[in-house]
Amino acid sequence: MKSRLVRASAITAAAALGLGLASCSAGGDAEGVTTISFLSWTGEEQMQPVLDAFAEDHPEVKLEVSYAPPVAEYIQTLQTRVLSGTAPDVFLIAAENKTNLIDAGAVVDLSDEPFMEGVQEFNLDTYGRDGAQYGLSLSSWAAGYAYNEEMLAEVGYDAIPETWDEFLELLQALEDAGHTPFLESVDQMPTTVSAMIGAKSSGMDPSLDEQIFSGASTFEDEWSDVLEQYDRLYTEGLVSSDVVALDGDQVRDEFANERVAIINAGPWIINAVTEANPELQFSFAPVPGIEGGKPFQAGAASPGYAINAKSDEAKQEAAKTFLTWLASPEGVELFNQQTNDVTVTESFTPEVNPIFEPMVAPIRDGQLYLPMISWQRDEDVLNVEAVAQMQRMIQGQIEPEDVAAALDAKLSD
Amino acid sequence: MTSQLATRPAPPAGSVSAKPVTRRRSVEGGWKQIALNRAFLLPAVVVFVFLFIIPLAQSLYWSLTDFTGYSTEANFVGLANYAAIMADPSMLAGLSFTLVFAVGSTLVTTLIAIPLAVQLNKAFAGRSFVRSLWFFPAVPSMAILGLVWGYILSPLPSGVFNTLLNDWFGIDAISWLSDNTLAQGSVILVGVWAQTGWHAVLYVAYLQSIPAEYYEVAKIDGASSRQQFFGITLPLLTPAIVISTFLLLTAGLKVYELPFTLTGGGPGFTTYTITQSIVVSGVGQGRYGLASALAVLFTIAVAVIGFSQLKVASAIGKRFS
Repeated sequence: MKSRLVRASAITAAAALGLGLASCSAGGDAEGVTTISFLSWTGEEQMQPVLDAFAEDHPEVKLEVSYAPPVAEYIQTLQTRVLSGTAPDVFLIAAENKTNLIDAGAVVDLSDEPFMEGVQEFNLDTYGRDGAQYGLSLSSWAAGYAYNEEMLAEVGYDAIPETWDEFLELLQALEDAGHTPFLESVDQMPTTVSAMIGAKSSGMDPSLDEQIFSGASTFEDEWSDVLEQYDRLYTEGLVSSDVVALDGDQVRDEFANERVAIINAGPWIINAVTEANPELQFSFAPVPGIEGGKPFQAGAASPGYAINAKSDEAKQEAAKTFLTWLASPEGVELFNQQTNDVTVTESFTPEVNPIFEPMVAPIRDGQLYLPMISWQRDEDVLNVEAVAQMQRMIQGQIEPEDVAAALDAKLSD
Repeated sequence: MTSQLATRPAPPAGSVSAKPVTRRRSVEGGWKQIALNRAFLLPAVVVFVFLFIIPLAQSLYWSLTDFTGYSTEANFVGLANYAAIMADPSMLAGLSFTLVFAVGSTLVTTLIAIPLAVQLNKAFAGRSFVRSLWFFPAVPSMAILGLVWGYILSPLPSGVFNTLLNDWFGIDAISWLSDNTLAQGSVILVGVWAQTGWHAVLYVAYLQSIPAEYYEVAKIDGASSRQQFFGITLPLLTPAIVISTFLLLTAGLKVYELPFTLTGGGPGFTTYTITQSIVVSGVGQGRYGLASALAVLFTIAVAVIGFSQLKVASAIGKRFS
């Protein structure tokens, strides 16, 4: 008797739960509201006001939002959900997962959508392939050099020179004046190398990476001269090989405490440096060009909003409503206010910190390069290899051409 | 319960009447008992099957495919992933440092933890506080320790260690994390620092179970402190050494967070580990097939090392028992 009662209670509870779940998933549609899921790359504190504004403008679309911090955790979370068939209706396509997502047919082609018009072509191309575009990328980031204006003035400079030779002369002058001239974190692709390769590629047609990945050229042919110039920082004794053990935060702290004159940096250091040392006068500049080149910036289009190709038609339409609103002047303005990202849509001019002003025009013109974004396959494999081999080069264990040869070997695996 | 069994009167010698009764009782109670025992084991078996056997079988299957982790479609590639591992210098470097870390940290931790435990077992003022102090490094996660030690061991003149060395002894900045050998040593050092206290506490627990009479007799016989340590303490600590070294070795083989946050695997691939290689290949690079092959090889290697260690420990235990 007792067991029957227990069984009956369990069945009732299961039925109630099932009904509850069913009403959760179907109730929205019945009221004319479509519920879509969204996995946000941007943190809740920054994103919630944007989502609240969307909810106010579009009560017919309900967003179920979850958050995962970039980069590795976001990629892993999304990967697991895609594989298990529970991918969100809207998510972010990034450098680390774009090849896999496109290959797996997991993202909708957004090329013909009206909300893609007015977005910088560089951003659209970043998350596209063979003429199709899969991500709505609203902003870009750039990195170059941040410099201590007072230290440079001490040795007779008021800005970073435009050529690499002149830049090395400046570093020597700073060294002679008793300053640590330059630090660059090498725990990821060095800003200097990215910018120099970008400058070289910008003058090539087809681009440098198109030539390498089509087999018309090799890393050894295209990268060796740039790596040789970069290695002069270490072979000429201007920078310590200890940089192989530094991360971006340590380099930033050295700069904020005025223990180094120039560092590689992006806009993300501005608040931390200003808070740590409000008196510090500093500015930004692009990476100087090597012979025959021009100053350039490392950088990339921010991850793009993508729509799940496996979502049903109604959810895809609701997702497009969300993306249309995000790309509107109102959406972009709010996004810029919340994230301080440099947005790249035609309909809105972003406000940026004056310190970072020298870098804004190149960002909005798409004059940016990051190998990992530009490479056409095996992006992370090549990136891990490049960073490790460059660290060995800085330590003096291998030559610049060995780094390039290792990349060729990795690509041919 | 043991004492009851021990004091139960034995049946008279040559008696035959008691035997069948005992057997019948054991059969009746036995089947029920066996069924009950099996029922209690069931949850553990289910967990074992779902969290170990099935993932291991899946890894084995994926290791023979080009599975990317984004699509359920995967093509059979035979042993290509295994061949790729053997030809990849970064993975071989990862295997090499993983072994160096596991063996190095196990040896050094054990060599420090045992004498430390002997000291912590003595009576002195503030003993509990000192024990807590040694135990504390085992509380925070290795990832946090790695980040903190990254600042302490920074190779810059402004690094904590380098500043102290310069202020106190006038020594120039040392490349703790940017020199290959020093970087490997630093990772092992931090690993030892984090684990020594925990394992010393384990040894203290075993030391407290050694009867004080043994030492009193040894003293009466004129044994020195050193002789007492090697003649009484160390042999009776053998079970603790077996457990401690087994835990250290398996933790060392699986190490990931510490080198990842302290050195990022660098310089080059000097402090790269197998687990990092599996995570980077599988998650970061969408090469689940390759990562699975690495995981399968690693599981076999860990099993071989673990069983060998237990075998050796068991032989040593028998020698001292």
